[in-house]
Amino acid sequence: MPEYIVEMKLITKKFPGIVANDDITVQIKKGEIFALLGENGAGKSTLMSMLFGMYEPDEGEIWVRGSKVKIDSPNFATKLNIGMVHQHFKLVQNYTIAENIILGVEPMKKLAGIFPYVDIRDAGRRIEKLSKKFGLEVDPDNKIEDVNVSIQQRVEILKMLYREAEILIFDEPTAVLTPQEIEFLLDIIKGLREGGKTIILITHKLEEIKKVADRCAVLCRGKLIDILDVKETSTRRMANLMVGREVNFETVKKPAHRKDVVLKVSHLTVKNQEHFEIVKEVSFSIRGGEIFAIAGVSGNGQVEIADAIAGLTKVSGGTIELNDTDITNYNIRRRTLCGISYIPEDRQNFGLVLDFTLSDNLALKSYFKKNFSPKGILNRGEIDRYGNKLIEKYDIRSGQGVRTLVRSMSGGNQQKVIIAREIELASPFMIFVQPTRGLDIGAIENIHNMILQERDKGKAILLISLELDEIMSISDTIGVIYNGQLQKTAETKSLTPKEVGEFMMGVRHG
Amino acid sequence: MDKEKRKPTKPTEKMNLSSDSPGISFHLLANEKWQPITIPAFSILLSLIAAAIVILLIGKNPLNAFLNLLQGSGILPKPSYAGYKGILTDFLSLLNAMTPLLFASLAVAVAFKAGLFNIGVSGMMLTAGFTATVAVGYSDLNSFLAKPVVLIIGIGAGAVMGAFVGWLKYRFNINEVVSTIMLNNIAQYVFGFFINAYIVDPVSRQSRYILDSSRLTLVNVEYGGLKMDIPLGFILAIAAAVFLKFFMDKTILGYEIKTVGANRNAAKYAGINVKKNIILAMVISGALAGLAGVTYYLGYFSSIQPKVLSSVGYDAIAVSLLGNSNPVGIVFSSLLISIISKGSTYMSSIAGIDQDIASVITGLILLFSACGEYIKFKIRRLNDRQLERKESEA
Amino acid sequence: MDTIIIDGLSFALPLFIMAIGGIYSERSGITNLAIEGLQGFGAFIGALAVILISNFAKTDLESLFYLAIAFAMIGGMVFSILHAVLCIKFKANQVISGVVINILSVALTSFLTSQINKNAFGAASDKFQLGVSKRFTIGGLSRIPVIGAVFKGIYPFEIVIIIIAFFAWYVLYKTRYGLRLRACGDNPHSVDAAGVEVSRIRFTAVMVSGALSGLGGMCFAYSISANFSPNIYMGYGYLAIAALIFGNWKILPALGACLIFGFAKSGGYRIVQLMKLPSAYSDLIMILPYVLTLLLLIFFSKTNRAPRALGEIYDKGKR
Repeated sequence: MPEYIVEMKLITKKFPGIVANDDITVQIKKGEIFALLGENGAGKSTLMSMLFGMYEPDEGEIWVRGSKVKIDSPNFATKLNIGMVHQHFKLVQNYTIAENIILGVEPMKKLAGIFPYVDIRDAGRRIEKLSKKFGLEVDPDNKIEDVNVSIQQRVEILKMLYREAEILIFDEPTAVLTPQEIEFLLDIIKGLREGGKTIILITHKLEEIKKVADRCAVLCRGKLIDILDVKETSTRRMANLMVGREVNFETVKKPAHRKDVVLKVSHLTVKNQEHFEIVKEVSFSIRGGEIFAIAGVSGNGQVEIADAIAGLTKVSGGTIELNDTDITNYNIRRRTLCGISYIPEDRQNFGLVLDFTLSDNLALKSYFKKNFSPKGILNRGEIDRYGNKLIEKYDIRSGQGVRTLVRSMSGGNQQKVIIAREIELASPFMIFVQPTRGLDIGAIENIHNMILQERDKGKAILLISLELDEIMSISDTIGVIYNGQLQKTAETKSLTPKEVGEFMMGVRHG
Repeated sequence: MDKEKRKPTKPTEKMNLSSDSPGISFHLLANEKWQPITIPAFSILLSLIAAAIVILLIGKNPLNAFLNLLQGSGILPKPSYAGYKGILTDFLSLLNAMTPLLFASLAVAVAFKAGLFNIGVSGMMLTAGFTATVAVGYSDLNSFLAKPVVLIIGIGAGAVMGAFVGWLKYRFNINEVVSTIMLNNIAQYVFGFFINAYIVDPVSRQSRYILDSSRLTLVNVEYGGLKMDIPLGFILAIAAAVFLKFFMDKTILGYEIKTVGANRNAAKYAGINVKKNIILAMVISGALAGLAGVTYYLGYFSSIQPKVLSSVGYDAIAVSLLGNSNPVGIVFSSLLISIISKGSTYMSSIAGIDQDIASVITGLILLFSACGEYIKFKIRRLNDRQLERKESEA
Repeated sequence: MDTIIIDGLSFALPLFIMAIGGIYSERSGITNLAIEGLQGFGAFIGALAVILISNFAKTDLESLFYLAIAFAMIGGMVFSILHAVLCIKFKANQVISGVVINILSVALTSFLTSQINKNAFGAASDKFQLGVSKRFTIGGLSRIPVIGAVFKGIYPFEIVIIIIAFFAWYVLYKTRYGLRLRACGDNPHSVDAAGVEVSRIRFTAVMVSGALSGLGGMCFAYSISANFSPNIYMGYGYLAIAALIFGNWKILPALGACLIFGFAKSGGYRIVQLMKLPSAYSDLIMILPYVLTLLLLIFFSKTNRAPRALGEIYDKGKR
């Protein structure tokens, strides 16, 4: 038996404009937990996508179990007993857990010896056996749309195990989980190692690596920096290697100077399309100069709160007051003019018109104002001048200036367009939903600083994020939501992440 | 990253894209600034080639056929003319036929800008034409009063029907393609029934001819020894195209409609009233379709054939797609489609090719236009690859 | 009452089989407005094939009925490849592609019909005469009061449709292919991740819908119109789409919707006959299915849920 189960030798992968992997060599031992550490865009996912057959390397070789292989498709990777849990789950929402697990490798039976059919019962039995063995409890007959993210992740893991995977790749598995769920997942991963599996963990979170990994490869901008023995390396050293410079663990933040109440939400209730109360009797208020963050597991009503305040969703009960004006029944435009800025979660489908130019997107909420369109006729020159001003002020990078189609811009710059537009509205109240999702560390820092700057100008800010780290580091007050209800509202300083996690899961009540 | 990007481009017979020395045509197509013109031109070329193959297959000479198309539509002179006829007669007749098509295509384009696919232009045309015929066509109003009233009724009838479709879309989320098709069929049979029951001419089996006072085309005007039909609506149609161009590019309302069409969620988020804009776009679209209807049934023709929908509404989709929903582009593409359909009668009589070939060519143009995005995409990818190659060589 | 059931069924079943085709295509994620054009083109190929064969072999047209159906299905399937290529390979807008195919189908079949009539048979006609296929009655069962009518005056194609429909149901809900197909319409990425080629599944699904549309079109040509002519484009393809929308993209409820259309139409005609109205009024009855479609859509479109990935262009790289 060779020493290494997987060897990737001198791997280079280029995409138009960037070298995603540059001469990377990693060797992974059977039965270890091997971590890949690096910022977003460092090339971790690309490297593992090649091991899983989604891309092929431009240069270099992949060896599995001592023989050289050419992995040209996920199917072949599966044959080599390699499995991968992607960052975005690949599940069919209206299928049961069992149907999802067997998709692609369906067990068949024949009716009357002629008509083949999918034997879902046999699948169910096998799944139950597997889930008992590895402590991954699921009900195979539940539909995906009815179970939470943590269960969905278990389904993804079961999918690999059902295909008899021996080498398991996890791509940022903890990004969407609560601290408690993370603990649980890390235990499962350790259990898998005990069961003889080899695990590759892609992450940018140092604590996780410290907790479970045996060895860790640090990647930075497509290059392999070092391979470390986790037990013998300090977290700080790993962090410095990852970013390639000294890192501030804490965002520099002045203490909050709270002023008068700007936004007051009382007994807010929102129903979804199925008339289910997704937000129940939620009350809170935000003062000028304060960042109020709503923490919670995805799908517990936090986005609906933001939409209800901005006017995108109908309110079925309660009131919303902005600077002592009741805006509950105002339409969206009127609320914007009253002073609400909104950075939405889904920037491509809500925040931007991708097929419009940069200047049109920057004017999306002000094109109708006197200076841009006197007498109902658009003044293109003025709109472009305004666009150029914002491009400079917010350092928005684009190919063809104001004429660039936003579709062709990078995610970070698209987000800058939205934030620039919303800040320029000069609203006393701003909503940020998942403002840093999918951005790299540089961009994240930049956006955090912008949010803090706005706070220090005296604005009231509502921050909704699934990243607990983000909430802990920049917010002044935290409201934890579970099942549509605020469980706890307190000063950020007075709470630990673990406590917040308990409220998020509904196991503790304030 | 786009996995597709790594695959080598398969050589396409259509255009020698993968060759190492791309021809002039490629350079023309690759220039993004000219793409709004070059890509439709390319689609037309492809469909003419395809049509030529069809014509060859039935054993006729395609070049002669195309020449006949141009002659029949008054672009090129015919070898001989009957009395009172000349190239000018044919050309004016072309404009006469083009007028409703231009209106109809603008109707499709406005809806398309709002993200709606109005297939109901034919039904709206019939509704407007029938209403105007019944209300004004047989009345003794004088010419100066009757013509404007016909236009107003056309606009009104079309707009009401458009508003209904917009309302169904917004209020009940009914796919406008399905609802407009249903309305087409309903209009066809309901008005067919009324025509047959009340205003049918027993000889022609069509509705009785309207009086000249309400007709939007001046027929048989004698000038310079020629008898010509002068389509008054043509000037209005051009004016509508110019206005629409201005409306879409320069006004707040146009900007809002375009935003709703490009991304309905973002429009709502930006505080734009999506309902109002969907209905407004359909009202404008309907009004234009109504104008198409009156210039067709009370201009180009002067009666209505019961239980038949005009093909103009469908040709308009091709025209609009070809003109990239841009009013200026549409003026040219509607001229082209009119030449094909108008010239086909003459071609049929001279070359013996069934005149349905005109709609086949239109259909082919439509088909290749639908591939326009793909062609653009291919070209962009090829450009990237060439750039890369140059970089790696350097 | 009997005629209402007999005529209703013979209208509803071809509609139903086209709706099943639509369900295949749309459950795989490809919007299919091309059904109208596909059924016409299929019927054209079927009619053309039997006309030519009967001319050469001097056989009776009616006996070639099953051959016509086979050719119609092939014709519809071949034409549907155009839709599949446009939507899947060329990533064209699926609504536009559907409309394009409908327009092209009408143009092409009208042109070819008259051209072939002129060149091959020397007749100036835009029709291929087919006749109406023979009906039969199942003796014992047809004597049951009221419901017995179901077994009276059956067109052979109704049996064919029922068999194929049952088979289609089985494939869609019980087999491996069906499981994968429905997954494509909800989340194609999951299918891709499971190592199954999404575009291949979608391609075949569109082809199935082409074949079934062709079958439906041929049935109309052999019953209602007794010929192939451009009049076959009556918007029935769109009725099938409406039926599958009320049916919530499921086969059995879609059958219910088709039956409602069928009985509305035959019932309407019966009323005109019973009230001894002049025949012009039958034009007004013709609008019943269309009006019903609109009304049903008004009541059902809000609650119904389309497949999640319907109409989205699938790009492997996009995550």
